[in-house]
Formats: sequence, structure tokens, C-alpha cells
Amino acid sequence: MEQTQQGFQVSAVKPIIEFRGVSKTYQTGTHALEDVNIKINSGEFVFVVGSSGAGKSTFMKLIMREEKANTGKIVVNGFDLTKMKRKSVPMLRRTMGIVFQDFRLIPNMNVFDNVAFAMHVVGADSRNIRREVSKALSLVGLGHKARSMPNQLSGGEQQRVGLARALVNSPDLIIADEPTGNVDPNMSYEIVSLLTEINKRGTTVLMVTHDHNLVRDFHHRVIMLDGGKIVADNAGGDL
Amino acid sequence: MKLSSVKYLVGEGFKNTWTNRLMTIASVGVLVACMVIIGLAVMISENVNMAMGNLEKQNVVMAYMEDYSWALYGDGANQKKGDSTEKADKNGIRPSDYTIHNEAEAKALCDQIAKIDNVASVTFVSSKEGLESATKSMLESQKEYFTFLEEKDQNPLPCAAKIAMADMELFDETIKKIEQLEGIDSIQSNSGLAQTLAAIKNGITVAGIWIIAILMIISLVIVSNTIRVTMYTRKLEIGIMKAVGATDTFVRLPFVVEGMVIGIISALISEGLLYCCYRIATETIIKTFGGVIAFSEMAWVLLLLFMGIGILSGVIGSVIIISKYLRKEGSEFAAI
Ligand SMILES: Nc1ncnc2c1ncn2[C@@H]1O[C@H](COP(=O)(O)OP(=O)(O)OP(=O)(O)O)[C@@H](O)[C@H]1O
Ligand SMILES: [Mg+2]
Repeated sequence: MEQTQQGFQVSAVKPIIEFRGVSKTYQTGTHALEDVNIKINSGEFVFVVGSSGAGKSTFMKLIMREEKANTGKIVVNGFDLTKMKRKSVPMLRRTMGIVFQDFRLIPNMNVFDNVAFAMHVVGADSRNIRREVSKALSLVGLGHKARSMPNQLSGGEQQRVGLARALVNSPDLIIADEPTGNVDPNMSYEIVSLLTEINKRGTTVLMVTHDHNLVRDFHHRVIMLDGGKIVADNAGGDL
Repeated sequence: MKLSSVKYLVGEGFKNTWTNRLMTIASVGVLVACMVIIGLAVMISENVNMAMGNLEKQNVVMAYMEDYSWALYGDGANQKKGDSTEKADKNGIRPSDYTIHNEAEAKALCDQIAKIDNVASVTFVSSKEGLESATKSMLESQKEYFTFLEEKDQNPLPCAAKIAMADMELFDETIKKIEQLEGIDSIQSNSGLAQTLAAIKNGITVAGIWIIAILMIISLVIVSNTIRVTMYTRKLEIGIMKAVGATDTFVRLPFVVEGMVIGIISALISEGLLYCCYRIATETIIKTFGGVIAFSEMAWVLLLLFMGIGILSGVIGSVIIISKYLRKEGSEFAAI
């Protein structure tokens, strides 16, 4: 993928994510999302908030194509997810970096290898891998911990490794479902600051959070879900 | 797919095999057991087939010819054997009633027999030779009578052809074809034995195929079970691979490598084990029966067979298991 890190290059004109009349009903019959319409432009930083069971994770899963919508149209990074074949899903995923709430670091690999893993498995060559992994680790401030094992790191540090892994393939979009859910408040600020930093370089960031303080202190767009519907969206204004 | 990533993923596969070594050893053990049984089945059937072949070679067919000399027995004593001058004898039998009048004609008939499909070899047996072998097992007094006849040129035996067949299953068919040739009077054979031999050979082949098929399925199940365990212990990696956009081929590769490694290790161990078993077993067999197929004659076939079984069950087993998992929709990044 191209280097779209320079935010001004794509500016806030072209939507990177677009939902049109999207509904998702799970096999159990739960209506997780109902008639969702939304546009997220390239270069934006968006908080997704709402009470438990509101459909936030479902919204993220639809973007990552971990789940399929029942009705409506979803376009992400130019991919029409509603028409997409299973075979093309890896190509979509390569345009996004995914951060997990529970870090998901491989316990028997050191920090460097954990980040490198994300490059190896999409076919990068070793010289690129060495360069990009070092870059990503120093960006999250963990260059000196490259040889540490995950269990030797604090929760916040582990999540920064997770962030480095999400960044290492230079994605256009960062998807993070409660990335601060398992770290203490101070670390949460640090992680969101990092994400904001990354966003300033042009990467679109989409983050689910329950933490009102974060939403209040970082002035980003906020989308609020309730009962599977978007009930508030401060695009361009305050909530 | 880039070479460097293939190298990386193959390396991961080897690592899996090692990390999972207890499972690996267990499945190698079961696979070796399957392969050794398959190998034994192959070697036993090969040896039995060879022994049968030897028996078959001894089980020859004698085709007796319509030989004029035979008609001369008794009354036509005044006529020289092979004399084709037309002159009916006392019983009104003319030389032209017979097809074969001399050895040259008999040998030509042998050549004709040799041309028939499935005839492995034909040996001409002159009446003199026939008498010799017939009298071999006789008592001295009986023998004297026949040698007396021979001396008087009154050998009662016609010329004959000693025939060996290539495939005993076509026995009856071949006999019919020989009978149809002009100049064949009668055929003496042991078709009962021939059929028994063919049936035994058949039975061994069918049993062998069944054993191999069943054990191959067992091998497949064993390997895929190991891969399933590996897969569950590596769900976290698979989830991450999918999240960062690894293709299915990439996700599968380490598991396929693991399956292949298990298969290849098992094949090599089985070959070694069989070699030792065979040597110990044949040392006693050779002393009692003599003549078994040397291991070296079967070594490559067996190794190929084992490698085939091992690699196939490794690859197929892992592909089936992983594909089933990869096709699952939803929650695919879930770690545990
Ligand atoms: N795989 C699934 N199968 C069936 N129902 C599901 C599944 N995943 C989620 N749901 C249901 O869909 C609804 C929305 O769930 P979702 O996970 O999107 O909520 P959320 O906003 O992320 O909640 P939380 O803040 O607790 O994470 C809930 O009622 C949930 O029970
Ligand atoms: Mg959730």
C-alpha cells in the first residue's frame, strides 16, 4: 500500500469508511446493528462509545470483515465489503492495523519477533522487516525492550507492543476495540496520546472506549451507539 | 509468495513440530506401526508371489501332437518313421490323416505355439525324450519293454511340446488356443493347481490392498489429530495472522510442514525397522526354505511407499483440518 501517512495528501474529503443502511443480526436473533449510516473520512480520529451491548464491537467487526452485514453496503478503503470474496479479505486486512484489548502477544516470542511476525506472515523480506520493526518500536518508545519477553513487560508496555505490531505494515486505518480496557488510567492516556500522534501522521484511527475521561480530554470525533443505532455523532462539532 | 516468507513459515513448521514434540512422537509412533504393517504386507505378498511363480514354472503343460509315428505303433512296423509316402496301412490309416510326420514339422508347430499370447516358453520333446522321461520312474522290467520298442522304432509316444505360461489366470483361455492349433492331439495339464495358485495370488493382492487402504486412513486420522492439537495451541498465532492479512496459504503452510515432517520421520524409521526385522526373519527363513527376495530389491519401493503415505497423510490431514477452521466466519481473531 502507498504511504498515506502525510495527512494533507488525502485530506478529509474522501471517506475511508462508509456504512449505508447497514444492519447486522446474529444467528441467535440478536439485532446488534440496525440501519447504520455513517461516513468516516481519511485522517480522522474517531471514538466509538456506548453502553455494553450497544453494538460497538459489532460495528468494528463489520469494518474488519470479521462479520458480514445482513443488509446495506459497507465500503472500507475502497473495498466493497458486501460484495467481497473470502479470498480478498487478506488484502483488505493489510490496509488496517488491529489492536486488541487483551494485547494478543505471542508469549514465546520476544518483543521484536512479535512485531516482526506481522510482517513475516504477509510476505515481507527480512531487510524491510528489521528496518520497519525498529522504527515501529522506537515510535512506541520500546526500542530498548526489543529483546524482552512479553511477560517481562507491564500491561501498558505490552499494549504498546501491540500498537507497534498494528503499525508496522503502515496501514491506512487503525482499528482498536477498547485498547485501554486492560491498562491503568495513566497508561491509557499514554496509549491514546500515541494513537493521536500516529493519527497526526495521517493514519485514520477508530477506537472503542468506555473511558469518559479519555473522550473528554482528547478532542476527537465521537460516535455514540445505543441499541444498535447511532444516537449521536459530533462530526465537526461537540457532543 | 516470496522465498523469504516461505523460508520463515517452513521454519515455523519445524518449530511447531519441536514445540509439540510429545504429540509428534506419539503420532510418529502410530504412523510407524501402520507403515511397518503395510511394509510387512508388501514383503510377505512379494515373497509369496515369488514362491508361487516358482511353483507355476514347474507346473508345465504338455501338448501331445497328432504324430503319424504313433499310428505306426503295432502294425505299421514295416514303415519307417517320418516316411510320408502315401501308403495306407493295415488299418487303413494314411500318413495324410496326420499333421505331423517328422521332427521338423513338430518343431514348426512348437514355434506356432510360442506365438500364442501368454505362452512363456515352449520346449520340443521328441518321442525319444518323452519315452526317456516316462520310463525314468518305471521299474526295471517295465522299462525294458519300452526300450525294446524304441529300439525297434516302435516308440508309442508322439512328439510333444512342453509349455510354460506367463499368467496362470489366463490358463484356460490359453489352453483353448493351443488346442485349436492344427496338429495338437491332446493336452495334459494340472489346471486345478493352476487355479488354486491364481486364487491364492489374487487373495493376497486383495488383502494387501485392503490392509494398505485401511492403514492409510488410520495414518490420515492420526496426523490430522496431531495437527488439530497444534492448531488449538496456536490459535493465537492464527488469529493474529488473519488479523494482519495473511492469506490462507500462509496460515496453512507451517501446519502442512509439520504434517510432512511427521510423515517423513515416520517413513525413515519404518524403513530402518523393517530392514532390521527382515534381516532377522530371513536369516532363519533362508536356512529352512532358501530363496527370499533381498531387502535391497524392495528398499526403494518401500521407502517410496512410506514417503508417499507419510507425506500424503501429512499434507491432506493438515489441509483438511486447517481449511475447516479457516472457513469459519466470525470471531476469527479470537485467541482461545
Ligand atoms: N457472536 C455473537 N453471536 C450472537 N450475538 C452476539 C455476538 N456478538 C455480539 N452479540 C450480541 O450483539 C449485541 C452487541 O454486541 P457487541 O459486542 O457489539 O456490543 P459492545 O457494544 O461491543 O458491548 P461491550 O461494551 O460490552 O463490548 C449484544 O447484545 C451481544 O450479546
Ligand atoms: Mg465490545
